[in-house]
Amino acid sequence: MENMMLLAIFIPLIGAFLLPLAGVFSPKVRNALALILVTASFGASASLVSPVLSNQFATFTISIPLGFDLIFTADALGVFMALASSFVGLIIVFYSLGYIHHDQNQNEYYMMVVLFLGAMVGLVYSQNLIYIYLFWEIAAICCWRLIGFYRERDIILRADKAFLITVFGALAMLLGFVILYNNFGSFDLRALKGKMAPDLAVLLIMFGIFSKSATLPFHTWLPDAGVAPSPVTALLHAAVLVKIGVFAFARIFVGTIDFGPIWYQILPVVIAVSAIVSGGAALIENDIKRIIAYSTISQLAFIFLGLVMDNPLAIAGGMLFILMHGLGKGGLFLCAGILEHCTHTKDIRQMGGLIKTMPVTAVSFGLCSLSLMGIPPFGGFFAKYMIISGTVQGGNPWIAGAFIVGALLTILYLLRVFALVFLGDLKIEAREGTTTMLVAVGLLACLSLLGGFFVKFPSDFIQIAVRQMVGSL
Amino acid sequence: MNETLLLLLILFPAAFGALLLVVPTKTKYLREITSLVAAGFMVYVALGLWDQQIDLTIPWAGFGIDFQLRLYAFSQFIVAAIVGFVFLIIMYSIKFMEERSRNNQFYGFLFLAEAMAIGSVLANNLAVMLFFWEGLLISLFVLITLGREQAFKTAVKTFIIIGLSDLCLMLGIAMVGFQAGTLTMSEIHLNTSGLNGVAFILMLIGAMAKGGALPFHTWIPDAAVDAPLPFMALFPGALEKLLGIYLVARIALDFFEPGLGMQLLVMSIGAITIVFAVMMALIQKDFKRLLSYHAISQVGYMILGIGTGVPAGVVGGLFHMINNAIFKSCLFLTGGAVEKQTGTTDLTRLGGLAKQMPVTFGCFLVAALSISGVPPFNGFVSKELIFEGTIEKGYLVFFIAAVIGAIFTAASFLKLGHAVFFGKPEQKGVSETHWSMLIPISALAWGCIIFGLRFDIPINFLVKPSLSTSLSEELLNHVHFKFGINELLLVTLMILIIAILNHIHGVKTSGKGVGASEHIHHAPGLKTIYHLAEERVFDPYVQGKIAGGYLTLGLYKIDRAVDWLYQKFFPSAAAFIASARLIHNGFFANYLSWSLGGMLLIILYLTWFVK
Repeated sequence: MENMMLLAIFIPLIGAFLLPLAGVFSPKVRNALALILVTASFGASASLVSPVLSNQFATFTISIPLGFDLIFTADALGVFMALASSFVGLIIVFYSLGYIHHDQNQNEYYMMVVLFLGAMVGLVYSQNLIYIYLFWEIAAICCWRLIGFYRERDIILRADKAFLITVFGALAMLLGFVILYNNFGSFDLRALKGKMAPDLAVLLIMFGIFSKSATLPFHTWLPDAGVAPSPVTALLHAAVLVKIGVFAFARIFVGTIDFGPIWYQILPVVIAVSAIVSGGAALIENDIKRIIAYSTISQLAFIFLGLVMDNPLAIAGGMLFILMHGLGKGGLFLCAGILEHCTHTKDIRQMGGLIKTMPVTAVSFGLCSLSLMGIPPFGGFFAKYMIISGTVQGGNPWIAGAFIVGALLTILYLLRVFALVFLGDLKIEAREGTTTMLVAVGLLACLSLLGGFFVKFPSDFIQIAVRQMVGSL
Repeated sequence: MNETLLLLLILFPAAFGALLLVVPTKTKYLREITSLVAAGFMVYVALGLWDQQIDLTIPWAGFGIDFQLRLYAFSQFIVAAIVGFVFLIIMYSIKFMEERSRNNQFYGFLFLAEAMAIGSVLANNLAVMLFFWEGLLISLFVLITLGREQAFKTAVKTFIIIGLSDLCLMLGIAMVGFQAGTLTMSEIHLNTSGLNGVAFILMLIGAMAKGGALPFHTWIPDAAVDAPLPFMALFPGALEKLLGIYLVARIALDFFEPGLGMQLLVMSIGAITIVFAVMMALIQKDFKRLLSYHAISQVGYMILGIGTGVPAGVVGGLFHMINNAIFKSCLFLTGGAVEKQTGTTDLTRLGGLAKQMPVTFGCFLVAALSISGVPPFNGFVSKELIFEGTIEKGYLVFFIAAVIGAIFTAASFLKLGHAVFFGKPEQKGVSETHWSMLIPISALAWGCIIFGLRFDIPINFLVKPSLSTSLSEELLNHVHFKFGINELLLVTLMILIIAILNHIHGVKTSGKGVGASEHIHHAPGLKTIYHLAEERVFDPYVQGKIAGGYLTLGLYKIDRAVDWLYQKFFPSAAAFIASARLIHNGFFANYLSWSLGGMLLIILYLTWFVK
């Protein structure tokens, strides 16, 4: 079991550096290798499912002095996150094969994507705060290179913006970790369990988490980062990167380190404001990728809400939404990529009636949107219901009411995009995207739907994770 | 075995609907005939389960969200009605929807909607009910887009209005689940004080919006014009009333024991819905739009009846629910027949069809008399019971509202019948519609007659058993109805006489059947209100859109302000810091003096302050 966990981390992490080498010989070999690396990582994590379901842990430790112990643990939370991110990552790599096959710098592209996924998997299995920070920054560097993929001046500036905001946040978080170390003498999360973190440390760590997970007021880098190629936006800003912050919150604060009661008052208000402001902004924007990016900010608030509420139902809802949002939002960004590819515009006012010429994209977009809106029978419904219900149970009916407004905004802006882009009169002659891309979006859309009918399977797994995190159900 | 059959009621239409969506067919009528057979099979299964009590629990998402179904008197009643209506509407659609391009979606989503509707009635777990309830939204959206070219705008409107109400229902359910400690519907009994009251109102919003009560009704008249007619006959006509009123009844009678304040709130919504919608119906000049306002107005009667909490009112309300479903979809279907044969539903371009379409006219007549509350048709019985309930409850204002509603209902159907079927024919060579469309129409018309003459059968075998868990046997046995000379019959006669006199006056002043309501339309005072209503000043959706526009713009400005800080403030701070670069000019002497200066400062600090 330990070996599988290490394979899941190090195959993509080390293999990524082979990709440029392979690319020199043959692009085909490189593409195949990238796909194999990500699949192998996914497979290795998947093999951990059945031990986790029977309540087993796997831990791998190398002692290093000064608190720098290398500790990896495969618990239910880690395996869940690893599976969710590497699966979406796998689909996105597959989609990339069709999307960027005539762009430059492909060697770097595949290397960065695979390295990024490796860092993500490493992060989710880490039990030591220092290594969480380390993988966090590797991810940030990959993200910076990938956003600036097209190398135009404006695009590079925006990549810098994303990098600077998240790195400053991460540095603040590192300071927070140091304060924890000074107080409790360890970076090991297992040793920190049940400790009460000082408010300053919580504040600093929240800086890092909110900047990575794009929550108001550290969110504006996310819409700007939409200049990246669409598979990158899907990978970074929908499915994987922004989940790092949410995950870190779950890892550090849910069931491990406690914070003062004041934070239970402050955090829900901050994320409620974030959800509503970004929802409103999404209704005004006209650039399809910016709208979806704002929608990410708004939906991340839902995930946060679930995790902040600190009761099993809400936490389970938050975790379920990590998965469902990854599937749905990944699908939306990939659909936006197809639209951009085929219509050569990102302005939704210039599109229209595309359901006639691009039926597969339209239906996939519709299905993914429905999941994000939380409409049954899609998976998003259960997640949203659990989060709202858990918030009420946590004694915050008014916050739940505010999030109902957020959910209404979600319906409004996604419906607006769908109606403007796909319904009405045909304005642009555009053909359907390539088969590779359509298979990718179709798969994500179908999984969003099946996630609702067979919600029992992720839910069973999440229940184990919640039990491990908070000790009871 | 019976459990499997119960699951089949939900899974079969869902699977069949999905199949219709994906399997293409070129053979003429193949899709239509298989759909009809499937709908017939559903009727068969539903009747096969009649009078059985089945409880079913399958683990699902955890945390109390189990797939619990419960078949009992109330749910079997609604399920039987749903499968019956779906069967009739499909039979009607074979000819009506012929040669439209997206029929696979029409039939597919019709079956998906049937599955969702049956699921939400059978559910015995609030989360499961919400799952099916909200799941209807997708079918609703797609079915409306199947209408005219620009129908998607109405579909978007519908999606938003119903979506909002469903979100309220979700919050209400979350609160109820928290307060009651369970999601199992048969175990929830709460009062309506404090947070429970909020939950009561939120759940009621969800239920009433589905039924089409004010202020969540505004999509219905728009859909009447845009959506395909069978959709109107099935959804706002029958299915949504069944679902909405089912839930209102469950909320107001089972889940909660509403206090007097809440009861008055429910009754007021009912009364306002009756009066406002019927006033709008009166002045309409389109067959389908006129009917759609009546679809809204009639739901007010049901809510008013159930809101009284008095046995007579509640029984009347539920009886009116099924009666309304029958005569309202019958009316919509006659409207469809007229549209199919003449190509229009504009009342000014119709007339004299009684001779050309005698069967349609006959059925229209029966249904119109029923909705107007003329004895001995079914609408008369249920309206009388609701009148009785409001009187028993003791608030005269609600009784008056119900009477005003009845007067204008009768008046507007006099106008409609006059304009469409009498007068001089506007078109030549119109013939009776196809027999496959006449069967469902006349079946429903016969329903009006049978449920009127033998009202005891539906009341004793459908309505009263449904209420046996909510009201005591003794109270229910107390509810009696008899045809005979009494005060309420006199009220009805008075209503009809006023309506007829009004009609005669209207026709005389305007000279046409369609103009029978013009004198009310242009009455002083009312004229302004009607004008504002037609300008959509009272449409919460339109007003909400305007207000929401400003609101979201404000939110967008907040977002931009935050971004401005990053874009302008931080770079200028960085530029300020960058000016320190000027100091680093590469001259050794410079650096040396800086170092010496710094050391001097340190020495000063150490000698003066640190002693």
